[in-house]
Amino acid sequence: MSSDVAARASLGVSLAFHIIFAAIGIGLPLMFCIAEGIGLRTRDVTWYTLARRWSKAAGILFVVGAVSGTALSFEFGLLWSRFMAFSSGIVGLMFTFEGFCFFLEAIFLGLYLYGWDRLSPRAHWLTSLPVVITGALASQFIVAVNAWMNTPAGFQLVGGKPVNIDPFAAMFNPAAPAQALHMLVAAYQVTGFAVAAVYAAGMLRKRTDAYHRYGALLGMSLATVMIIPQAIAGSWIGEMLARQQPEKLAAMEGLFHTTAGAPLALFGWVDTAAQQVYFAINIPDMLSLLAFNRFKATVTGLDAFPQNTWPSQSLTPIAHLAFDTMATLGGLFLLVPLVFWFVYFRRHKTVPTARWLLWVLVVSGPLTFVALECGWICAELARQPWIIYNIMRVSDGVSITPGIGVFFFVFLAIYVALGVATIALLRRLAREPKTFPEAVKQGVTVEQSSGSRDLGSATS
Amino acid sequence: MTQSTLATLSAALVLIALVAYAIFGGADFGGGVWDLLARGDSAPRERDAIAQAMGPVWESNNVWLVFVLVIAWTAFPIVYAGISAALFIPITLALIGIVLRGAAFSFRSHYGMQVGAGMRWGHVFNIASVITPFLLGTIAGALSSGAIHVSGPPLQVQANIWATWTTPFALACGAFALGLCSVLSATYLTVEAHANGSEVLTQTFRSRALIAGAITALIGAVAAALSVSEAPVLWRGLVGQALPFSLGAVVLGLVTAVALLRNAYQVARVLVAAETACILIAWSVAQWPYLIVPDVTITNAASPASVLGPMLIVSILGLVVLLPSLWYLFAVFKSKPRARRSTADRRLTTASFVASLQPVAASGERPSGADAASPADIHRSSRTRDATQFQAVVAFSIAVASALLITSASTVLRQRYERSRMYARMHPAQ
Repeated sequence: MSSDVAARASLGVSLAFHIIFAAIGIGLPLMFCIAEGIGLRTRDVTWYTLARRWSKAAGILFVVGAVSGTALSFEFGLLWSRFMAFSSGIVGLMFTFEGFCFFLEAIFLGLYLYGWDRLSPRAHWLTSLPVVITGALASQFIVAVNAWMNTPAGFQLVGGKPVNIDPFAAMFNPAAPAQALHMLVAAYQVTGFAVAAVYAAGMLRKRTDAYHRYGALLGMSLATVMIIPQAIAGSWIGEMLARQQPEKLAAMEGLFHTTAGAPLALFGWVDTAAQQVYFAINIPDMLSLLAFNRFKATVTGLDAFPQNTWPSQSLTPIAHLAFDTMATLGGLFLLVPLVFWFVYFRRHKTVPTARWLLWVLVVSGPLTFVALECGWICAELARQPWIIYNIMRVSDGVSITPGIGVFFFVFLAIYVALGVATIALLRRLAREPKTFPEAVKQGVTVEQSSGSRDLGSATS
Repeated sequence: MTQSTLATLSAALVLIALVAYAIFGGADFGGGVWDLLARGDSAPRERDAIAQAMGPVWESNNVWLVFVLVIAWTAFPIVYAGISAALFIPITLALIGIVLRGAAFSFRSHYGMQVGAGMRWGHVFNIASVITPFLLGTIAGALSSGAIHVSGPPLQVQANIWATWTTPFALACGAFALGLCSVLSATYLTVEAHANGSEVLTQTFRSRALIAGAITALIGAVAAALSVSEAPVLWRGLVGQALPFSLGAVVLGLVTAVALLRNAYQVARVLVAAETACILIAWSVAQWPYLIVPDVTITNAASPASVLGPMLIVSILGLVVLLPSLWYLFAVFKSKPRARRSTADRRLTTASFVASLQPVAASGERPSGADAASPADIHRSSRTRDATQFQAVVAFSIAVASALLITSASTVLRQRYERSRMYARMHPAQ
């Protein structure tokens, strides 16, 4: 394996792994914050049971997200030392912000996870708020770095070195807001659907108690709330790409010739050698509409760029298919919540237990992760061969160290092991009794002092 | 402020974060070492004590490392890139250790420590806890040795990928780091065990801290002796400009031992932390102004002032938020249990609050048992209940949606503003 292929594969695997845990790490705190907030207000123990469960799951998932995130910060240097030598001064401020957010998130998550028997109900709920906020903010800064690689800003290139660095201009690069919103909303969607899928699966096994119904209700609510922001983010990103990175949009869409009223090629196989898209369903003028909000707008094709800056022949069709899969699934995820609420109100405001709908929810859960990965794969493949758009090629950013191939296989093995272990643990967690003070069930001594129960070490 | 002042401040910030990582995160590695060495009847209790001490805080302790990396690569891009390239192997191995250590610790606590899967993850946790600080020590040794040549950008690195971190000096540094982590951990654990009222555990950890301390001091002396020939720049610094700190480290080490012998655990905890800080400060002051001996100095590796200034301001503002939060975390979980118990009587905790709530949902609506309510009843009760909960969910959802809409609207505006600014920059004449 050559160095840059191995480095790309390594970072690709790491990010593909990390993005799942990062997305849940952003979304799940919002879920348990809301659940515990409602519980605190309505004094309904079911909401507390849900919050407690989610916090336990979040504990496992956050650890894996945190260690894979730590691994990433090392990998930037280990695998991309020449890229980092060039750019880490420019993008460092974003990482500094992100570092603080991550730090605060870890602190308050520690308080939340271990504080059930230390903090008052209100204080405990309040500790979830910083987790929600810092998790969301951290994603914004990290995505801003990725956006900077797409639309570099905040420096001038003199003799191959960056000078006149303005880290704030780099942070607010043109692609950042659209990309960051898209990612944040996607994280909430993924979590909402995943949670709804878990409880829908429970309801399919005739467990239609309040615990399962509330879980599905809240998951679907989050997914519903995200419909409008995601629609905004999606069209915004299309528009941004058309203006800032027309080459990437053209590669993603298999648009070889600059066209007025460009059609949208759905699926199909992009052949860069023949400059054709085979077996695609063409929707006339749709790409122009997505890119510029006008049916007859001119969209720049790949022919406007030298061939040696096109993504390689093997990557382009994958990027195109990944994009179409994401977009199709994304459209589906805007519809599913609407169907859910339609049935909910038809059934006089009860959480639907119709099997077909529950099956739709169960299937949607894993599919949101597919969409998340596809979106990310598309975004990273279609911008090849650039690591910093029009500034630095991937092959110029990679480390010159031997042994990156070994690195790839070692980390692949580690991530597989961690993934398997996480799933096993979550399954184990799902089998635990569902009453809130588990300690009582497990027969741990419960001190009855002045009317309150001290659960002591049993909950830690 | 001048460029070099900013560069010095940034280096100081890296050092502060590094000291914090050593004091907090180092102790967690030491916990893994003592977990590995726990033997005999009291082993489960020792392991429990270690796990309880680490549980709520290890993740935030671990973030200090991320913080070190981030500040280092922002302020000294060449250093981070150069170290990563030159020390690819030990850093990769340490990274594997860091990843597995954290994951294994958490997995083990979820499985329970004494059962199959939990025990296997326990072994992973132990091994990773030993290897990681050792490797981090060898990396520090390699940086002082003068065998790594870095220049750029574009990045140029000259170093033997195996030899730099496997010299006797670097290995001694690794062993020293491992020993220091063990001493830190054992000393902290005496406080925890004492506060939990377990005199046996306290004495166990106390004697371990003393023995490990003696061994570590010995290794430190060997490393210092080796540095005379293998890291001359460092040695000259240790007996020169960093002499107060080197002597301070020696003195603090002895005083810590005295405090432990006199059962003054709280004092010993503070002293051993100060000792660790002193060692790291001595090391960095001694090789001042080099970051990587012999080519890279604080000044020639630093980012321009336009990068360092904002980074320092952000870091200071960040620390203003961070430190109180961190203090709160430690205050909640590391406060004296006696004080805690007395407040627990007075104050309502979340767990006791939930336990006091009527478990309506759990008892009334489980259709699984034989005496379950009829489906029609369930349907009726779930209708009213779902509808009530629905209002609460809607209220929260509206809050979230409006927050997100406000955010997206403001980012749209911001982007418009940036675009106009860019346009103005591109067309200055207009």
